[in-house]
Amino acid sequence: MALQNNPQSESGRIISQFLLKSLHIVLDSRIPSLRTHDHSGDLTPVSRVRKSDKWFNLALGERRAALENLNFWHRNVMDPMIIDLILVHEESTSSAVDALYATSGMDASAETVIERWIVQYESPRTMVPHLLENPASYRTYKKSIILLRSLYSTLRLLPAYRIFRQLCLSNQAHNFDLIYKVSSFSEPFSRAEEDAMKHYSFAPVEAPPGRLCISVTYRPTLSDFNLEPSALLPPQIITDYVGSPATDPLKVFSGTDKGVPSTSFTLRGTRSPSSIPFQRPHSWTSGIHRAAPFTQNHHLGGSPPAYRTSPLPSDYSTSPPDFYGHKIHGYRPPTHKKGNSVDEDPLSPPFSSSPTPSPPTYNLLQNHPRSGSAPVSIPLPMMGRNHRHLTPNFSDPNRHSLPPMSPRSTRPDLSSQESPSGSRSFRKTDMLKAGELYSGLTNLYSGQKVFKDSKDDSGRFSGLVSSSGSPKIGFSRSSSRLSFQDDLDDCDFSYPFAVDDVDTSDTQNRSLEGKGTSESNSQVLPSSRKSQDAAVGVLVHMLRTAPPLRQDHSYSFHSPKSEIEGEASASSGFFVPRRTADALAELRSYREMKNLLLSQSGTRLVNKEESKPAAFVG
Amino acid sequence: MNCEVCHLKELDVEHFEIREVLRCILHTIVFHRALGLIRPKDIDSELFDITYVQCGDAEVEKKIEEKIDQFIGWVEKHPNKKSQICLSFYEVKNKQATWFSNKIERLYWEQWYINLNVAQHPKAHSSKSHHSKMVVDPGESTLERGVRRATLEAALREVLLFQIIKFVNEKRDHIPPVPNHEGVSFPYEIALPSSSDSSFGMDMFKRMLQTGHPTMLS
Repeated sequence: MALQNNPQSESGRIISQFLLKSLHIVLDSRIPSLRTHDHSGDLTPVSRVRKSDKWFNLALGERRAALENLNFWHRNVMDPMIIDLILVHEESTSSAVDALYATSGMDASAETVIERWIVQYESPRTMVPHLLENPASYRTYKKSIILLRSLYSTLRLLPAYRIFRQLCLSNQAHNFDLIYKVSSFSEPFSRAEEDAMKHYSFAPVEAPPGRLCISVTYRPTLSDFNLEPSALLPPQIITDYVGSPATDPLKVFSGTDKGVPSTSFTLRGTRSPSSIPFQRPHSWTSGIHRAAPFTQNHHLGGSPPAYRTSPLPSDYSTSPPDFYGHKIHGYRPPTHKKGNSVDEDPLSPPFSSSPTPSPPTYNLLQNHPRSGSAPVSIPLPMMGRNHRHLTPNFSDPNRHSLPPMSPRSTRPDLSSQESPSGSRSFRKTDMLKAGELYSGLTNLYSGQKVFKDSKDDSGRFSGLVSSSGSPKIGFSRSSSRLSFQDDLDDCDFSYPFAVDDVDTSDTQNRSLEGKGTSESNSQVLPSSRKSQDAAVGVLVHMLRTAPPLRQDHSYSFHSPKSEIEGEASASSGFFVPRRTADALAELRSYREMKNLLLSQSGTRLVNKEESKPAAFVG
Repeated sequence: MNCEVCHLKELDVEHFEIREVLRCILHTIVFHRALGLIRPKDIDSELFDITYVQCGDAEVEKKIEEKIDQFIGWVEKHPNKKSQICLSFYEVKNKQATWFSNKIERLYWEQWYINLNVAQHPKAHSSKSHHSKMVVDPGESTLERGVRRATLEAALREVLLFQIIKFVNEKRDHIPPVPNHEGVSFPYEIALPSSSDSSFGMDMFKRMLQTGHPTMLS
């Protein structure tokens, strides 16, 4: 098929971007957490207009990470993209199953599909592969623009928009929620549901050899549901909170650690996992697979990649998708993209020529058989959830669970056990060594930390990059690379229909996928780093209990504060020259420690321990 | 190129509702014809539970507001009349300049007729005998007004959703190539009724030609 075998074709790109843009429009208008905050109509300054905005001349603002990942998920443009908007609402029920899962004082929740959008590229089965003529692509593109405008307007006229607006009111809590599910197939509605719903189809856009179609089945009235704002929930104390490796380095996560705080993954403490379909290929959801975290966590420890643990420290109340543990080769963190100059051509998709040839996305992903294909995992779900309900979980004690990313972030739970004089040296060492060991994990944690800290997601990965003092692996590195590449492409705009090169976004996607293997390799390492975490903890313990190098000084003599504290003996000790013998003795003690650790963990310690003995002595 | 015409369903509005109704309709149409790069602007209607979308162009917003003001002025001069506003999109064809004028020809390729039936009497009555009406039967008038408002809102929603959007999607072949980079890409005009005041309409037309939107003429 021409569209798939030749991803560089303009029509192929138009179609795939059309799917992505329509998804963006729908989710931006229905899911509060995915909403971009800029609906002001203001296009200035030009720097704020991103490449993705230029597609179909509809600037919607930054695309959330979830949407970027969905781009990779939707590997086949021939598959319909079905977006279900699901209303999670209270329902008083006498069902035993629901009552089983209902927490005290709250009704069981029910889920109802209130809207189903189907965006599809329909094409005849027999297609003659041919490249589209430029005028045809132009017409297709122009009509697509209009269709997407209509989609945008219609989303605001349907009843579900009111619910979305209510949910966007951050000063209120509600007894309902809107979540979504994107898949390439869907269960048909029951007869009763169909009778209660209306259908509307937009006129398709001719995109030879097929056409682009959007249709919606929606509930014309939502007054049947008892939707109302509720009182704000009090902060919930998680009694069975499971710590992270940072809090308890010697603790190894195992399958028995079921202490996932259920409240952190659910909507207002209610769930009915029995009613949720668990395994669904070609499906990406938010919040609907509430059973997922329970079963996922039972597989922790050992071989699964480290990023699977990321939902554990109670980060998001949306459950990760059911295929969470798969590689993140398709993940691309959104970056701050530099401003683009206004395109010279009024109607032009943001194609651009790129000097680097990149593997076509479609071919790469089409290696998987359709029926049993492995869904793409999204390591950092950030959708379908009000962040306000995350705040109780992120009170101060939980913050300390995050491993340090920079010298300014401390771990008082560890240092509290030390003598004050030794605490600073420990911390500094820990930053340098443990931070590097944690780098695979902490990128995730800090990324999540940045997520949680700010409601506005713009620039969160820039925050990640700036705050991390450790060598960057995975996300941040790729993000910096992507931003560079995006800058490169931004300078290179040409008339789209005359150029037959890869698109920038596709280039980035593909380059990221090319890096995906390296990322996946790097992600395999964290599992062994868990044991290294334990090893580091042992090292820390030994350092604390090790005898001082000098009888008259503590470890912290390099710290400025200890100088200021005015210990005369300590300050005078700075100027006593060390003898070689002392240094050699110290080296020997480190070697012993190293051997001890090696024997315990069976892994190699970072050799930097030997190379930087001066860190302890200033 | 043919000219597609769309006659929108007639709406019964009260005087104070004209502005909001026209805003909803005009902005929705223009949003679908602003094919340049725009950042959509969601606007919650002040009177109705409707959110319509503007194209984000301040010039367009200003122009539409001016037209609405003029229309309201016209309605006040011509009460109890079925009025019609015509929003037209055209192409500018420069004809060869003759010695007496620079002829600019407009080829209209799309026209929208917005039909309003402005009911002014009830309001006029109520303002005069407001006090007595309130004393007599306040609840019923409020209820009636509520029902009428809901009816209008439903009708407006139907016009927006099922007429404008439907028309915009079904008729797409007649749209000319886009001449403009950003925002409203096609030149347009909003013609007010001139059935009883021909010079009024001509004045507007002339003003359009002379002080054309800067982005109109490419």
